[in-house]
Amino acid sequence: MPESQDLLKRLPTDLGGLTAEPVQRTEHEIEPWEKRCHALADVLDFHKIINTEEKRRGVEALGAEIISKASYYERWIAAFANILFQKGLLTPGDLARKMEEVSARHGDGRT
Amino acid sequence: MQPHGHEHPDIPEPEDKPPGYYEIMEIAVRELLIEKKLIGPDEIRRQIEVLDSRTPALGARVVARAWIDPAFRVRLLRNGRAACEELGISFYDDTQLIVLENTAAVHNLVVCTLCSCYPRPVLGLPPDWYKLKPYRARAVREPRAVLAEFGTFISDDVEVRVSDSTAMVRYLVLPQRPPGTEGMSEQQLADLVTRDAMIGVTTVRH
Repeated sequence: MPESQDLLKRLPTDLGGLTAEPVQRTEHEIEPWEKRCHALADVLDFHKIINTEEKRRGVEALGAEIISKASYYERWIAAFANILFQKGLLTPGDLARKMEEVSARHGDGRT
Repeated sequence: MQPHGHEHPDIPEPEDKPPGYYEIMEIAVRELLIEKKLIGPDEIRRQIEVLDSRTPALGARVVARAWIDPAFRVRLLRNGRAACEELGISFYDDTQLIVLENTAAVHNLVVCTLCSCYPRPVLGLPPDWYKLKPYRARAVREPRAVLAEFGTFISDDVEVRVSDSTAMVRYLVLPQRPPGTEGMSEQQLADLVTRDAMIGVTTVRH
């Protein structure tokens, strides 16, 4: 395990210059929700609600463990939610209620 | 299942399997932002159309034009964004584009060590390997070894120059025009230019 001072000196997304495995030339077809998430990032940027640098720092703020376990767009949407809470544009309660509603709408196959 | 027509008035959501946790979060955030009128109801769908319209074929057109039009090449190297806009390629974000020219003396390679910044307006979305740790970590430390993993071997007397992208400044590599292409049309030249050559991990072959 790295020492805490090493973690402090290098935040989890700051990868330049580290040693790592050979490049695997992986590519996957982007899923529909991932593409919507990408479009959401652009639209939030157009409206000056969340810019690219805020998004990057929002991912960084998720911490090393989530960054290592969540996929690319999973990190993005979690970061957007946190940033929107911090800016007072959404509340955690808003999101929890809406997620339940969406889940109920999709969960049992009936709409 | 809905019958599949040619119109998609609503943003498609998969109907055959229930959405996962993060997809539910994405749907919920989007719907809340629309309800609160922070974004328009149609903006995500329209931006998806913009994203779908961006592929490496646009960058390939830019490269082919630079190969056949020396004055365009000069403008492209001076201001990448303005030269792309001249060809009708709009920039939907605030990023600047710096075009890096490969020569007999210099080979350029583009990376984003901090995240995944990429010249999306001209190349579309980046490949997964561009976003993953091995490429981001090693491209700045041992670029020749990384290039070799792509089957690209740069002679020792050629400088390998690595550019690290930022939120505001993106890079596109202008590859060297391969020999034996003197008689080719602009479109034929564009067809030779690959995404990976414009990232700098490969060269253009004929």
